[in-house]
Amino acid sequence: MTTTEAVPRTAGTATEISRVHSLRQVLQVQSFQILLVLLVIFLVFSALAPEVFPTWGNVRQIIQNVSILGVLGIGMTFVIVTSGIDLSIGSNLVFSGVVAAKVMQAVGGSGWGTAIVGILVAVGCGLGWGLLNGVLIAKAKVPPLIVTLGTLGGALGLAQVITGGVDIREVPAVLQDTIGYGNVPGTTLPTISLIAMVLILIFGTVLHRTRFGLYTFAVGSNEESARRVGVKVDRQLISIYALSGGLAGVAGILSLSQYGTTAIAGQSATNLNVIAAVVIGGTSLFGGVGTIFGTVVGLFIPAVLQNGFVIVGIQPFWQQVAVGAVLVVAVYVDQRRRAAAARGHSAKSDGKKKLFGRRSS
Amino acid sequence: MKLTPKVTLLAAGVLTATSLTACAGGSASGGSAAGAQPKLTFIQGVAGDEFYVSMQCGIDAAAKASGATVNTQGPAKFDPTLQKPIVDSVVASQPDAILIAPTDVAAMQAPLKAAAAAGIKVVLVDTTVQDPSFAASAIASDNKGGGLEAFKAIKNLSPSGGKVLVISTDPGVSTADARVAGFEEGAKADPSFEYLGVQYSHNDPAEAAKLVSAALAKDPDIVGVFAANTFAAEGTATGIRQAGKQNQVKIVGFDAGPAQVKQLKDGVVQALIAQEPASIGTQGVDQALKAIKGESTQKEIQTGFKQITADNISGDGAKYVYKSSC
Amino acid sequence: MTTIPVLEARGLTRSFGNVRALDGVDFDVHAGEVVALIGDNGAGKSTLVKALSGNLALDSGKILFAGGEVELGSPSQASSLGIETVYQDLALAPHLNAAQNMFLGREIPKPGFQGRLGFMDNKAMRAKSREAFDELGATVRSLSDPVGSMSGGQKQAIAIARAVAWAKGVIFLDEPTAALGVVQTRNVLETIRRVRDKGVGVVFISHSMPHVIDVADRVQVLRLGRRVATYEAKKTSVEELVGAMTGALDGAHS
Repeated sequence: MTTTEAVPRTAGTATEISRVHSLRQVLQVQSFQILLVLLVIFLVFSALAPEVFPTWGNVRQIIQNVSILGVLGIGMTFVIVTSGIDLSIGSNLVFSGVVAAKVMQAVGGSGWGTAIVGILVAVGCGLGWGLLNGVLIAKAKVPPLIVTLGTLGGALGLAQVITGGVDIREVPAVLQDTIGYGNVPGTTLPTISLIAMVLILIFGTVLHRTRFGLYTFAVGSNEESARRVGVKVDRQLISIYALSGGLAGVAGILSLSQYGTTAIAGQSATNLNVIAAVVIGGTSLFGGVGTIFGTVVGLFIPAVLQNGFVIVGIQPFWQQVAVGAVLVVAVYVDQRRRAAAARGHSAKSDGKKKLFGRRSS
Repeated sequence: MKLTPKVTLLAAGVLTATSLTACAGGSASGGSAAGAQPKLTFIQGVAGDEFYVSMQCGIDAAAKASGATVNTQGPAKFDPTLQKPIVDSVVASQPDAILIAPTDVAAMQAPLKAAAAAGIKVVLVDTTVQDPSFAASAIASDNKGGGLEAFKAIKNLSPSGGKVLVISTDPGVSTADARVAGFEEGAKADPSFEYLGVQYSHNDPAEAAKLVSAALAKDPDIVGVFAANTFAAEGTATGIRQAGKQNQVKIVGFDAGPAQVKQLKDGVVQALIAQEPASIGTQGVDQALKAIKGESTQKEIQTGFKQITADNISGDGAKYVYKSSC
Repeated sequence: MTTIPVLEARGLTRSFGNVRALDGVDFDVHAGEVVALIGDNGAGKSTLVKALSGNLALDSGKILFAGGEVELGSPSQASSLGIETVYQDLALAPHLNAAQNMFLGREIPKPGFQGRLGFMDNKAMRAKSREAFDELGATVRSLSDPVGSMSGGQKQAIAIARAVAWAKGVIFLDEPTAALGVVQTRNVLETIRRVRDKGVGVVFISHSMPHVIDVADRVQVLRLGRRVATYEAKKTSVEELVGAMTGALDGAHS
């Protein structure tokens, strides 16, 4: 007996083809909304300070200042998609920078040879802490919040032990000149931003187009199901936290290049700023949903807000209030979206209805 | 054309790009004509710290008197990674002069040098950078002298000598290091005192309290602690109170915020070495305006300090207390 | 039936502390046959299914697959023999779409170097998924919507289709119609018949006697961790089944 309510095959295929991209569209709809918010903020400040705010000189330095956060945001997106969290990225960054600076000091010289050693050391240190996080979370089953809180303290403490609390201010000139403040040859785009963009593109592709990325979403969506069908969940989690750590190591050497110092007392609020950016960008703290694109937008919103407030001359405390408000609204929107999905509405049709008031195909 | 997300995205992107290029042509003229109102921006070391608030009050008053406008900004923590984006944004807004307390001698070097290169006059207040030659002026308290004065205050309070300790904020902060150096010099030169060294509280009162408790556990007969700045002083007093040693350990604090003044009045802290942040601010505005006008400036100015004790707090010393609002 | 069962359990025992969940239970299912596994709560049905799908270690007993003894130490070992299970919670990832869920763990890589980097052939996976759903008459309207936003019946259909697509030997269904409405239940039962017609053995746990009699070929009754009766579905009645479950009757008919 054939089921009479089956959709006729041809119609099914037709709607299917037009929706071949709709998963991407669903995600884009969420990040699209947040992009609109960013554009609105940008336009408002442009209106308030038209000769200063929307200039390439100003925008360029905003981009330069979010570059390091962008690198960190990649790893954090992967981690939060699995419904985990990584609080240790700031300390990891500092530790990697410290060890790299010490090694480069020992090797001597300020050319590319020394610099490359420093880069490798920094990434290695970052990977080390990341692996430690991953193993404790996946194998020892300690909650990510606790594990990364522990490595947060451990990495920073070790960094202070190694340096006696005194910053190392000796960084090879090539790093500072090319990566720290240099532009891509022939352009006015900061090199550090190009590096961040390349990493974002690579790992954005990994997250949204490869099996590794798919398994990341699967683990965040339903870890038990993934395990049952044979996905190596433990290995996946360890890899993801290692990735987050490795990228913190990259951020460490980038920070050394940009500030010319290990800045041990710095990065105090970095972990929370990055988490806020990822959440504002539409990645759910409960896992299963997220985009790298959204994270990038989420990073720009606090940066643009602060830049605009400073230029317009608003007190610094309002900046914190504004960013906090955006964060709360972002989480609220995420909650509404999840509730709607649970009630059986597709996020895609819901979002599109909200945006355009009619169903487009 | 259907309003798919992609199309709307494209349209919005075009809109943004055009507004960018339309305004990119003219970079805002920074230098104002001699008759126009000079624009000053004051970048604090930490927003909300009473020391910097007092400085802001001095700056605001001096600016008002000379017909200049002031925009005050500051990072949430004494952290160069937080201060740099603020400096960059301020530079983009092209004020005539920046008065800044740099949070790291190395990290802020390049951004501030770039500001000077862009035609903005830079005046360093309180802290400095590795190579301040680009700055029109650098104004700070004579911190080393202040540290020495702190030692003298401890000697006054404990004439028979004993063990002394210093709680500072972070190593590498020029002002704090100078104070510690001044204190150390005095302590080491005096044979009746034993110098136990310096500990770092990272500008966190809770951390300072922990360090002091631990130090007292190790050396229960400490007679004096020099706390090198506002937060260190707060935390040190807490730590000593928790150990119940208010009568035994004399505290000399650096900086005179309202919380410390209360501790002074309550007898928890015995002396405060107050800087003159308002004066630093006023002098800063003075130098900045001179630089804007093209007149010659004084490259280095050292301001003084005042010892505040329970004796003079109600009289002479009152005006040196830091304000929490103007 | 005189053919060798595709899957057979002999004398399985397993205790959890003081509770003997499986007390020397026997079971068998043949290719192209639908067996209903019934019993009161606590009879050991779910435990038996877990053991036969590689999710449970046994204290003693033998499991035979196509006549040969096997050790089912993990779900993937069971999978590789062609044994698939659809759990009561469906084990779907709600944020992934139907095609991604279908192929989860078994994605088709893009050919060549791209495949080794981890890029997947989404087009092929979607086409095959569509094929599988159509074959079972499952109404999955969109292959790109996350399955979490679909109705219970659609999710059930996807979970069953996944199991069917990969199963070559036996499918276990744990209470497949428990949360479904009338129309959706009819679809699931129809699906079960189609799966049997493909030559796969189907075992389903159910509390609904009418459904059991409707779609099963044989019914095996568990009580207190043992098989107490086997009936041919067409020759038995609801009263007889209930009686066997509760112990009012004792005696097994083949």
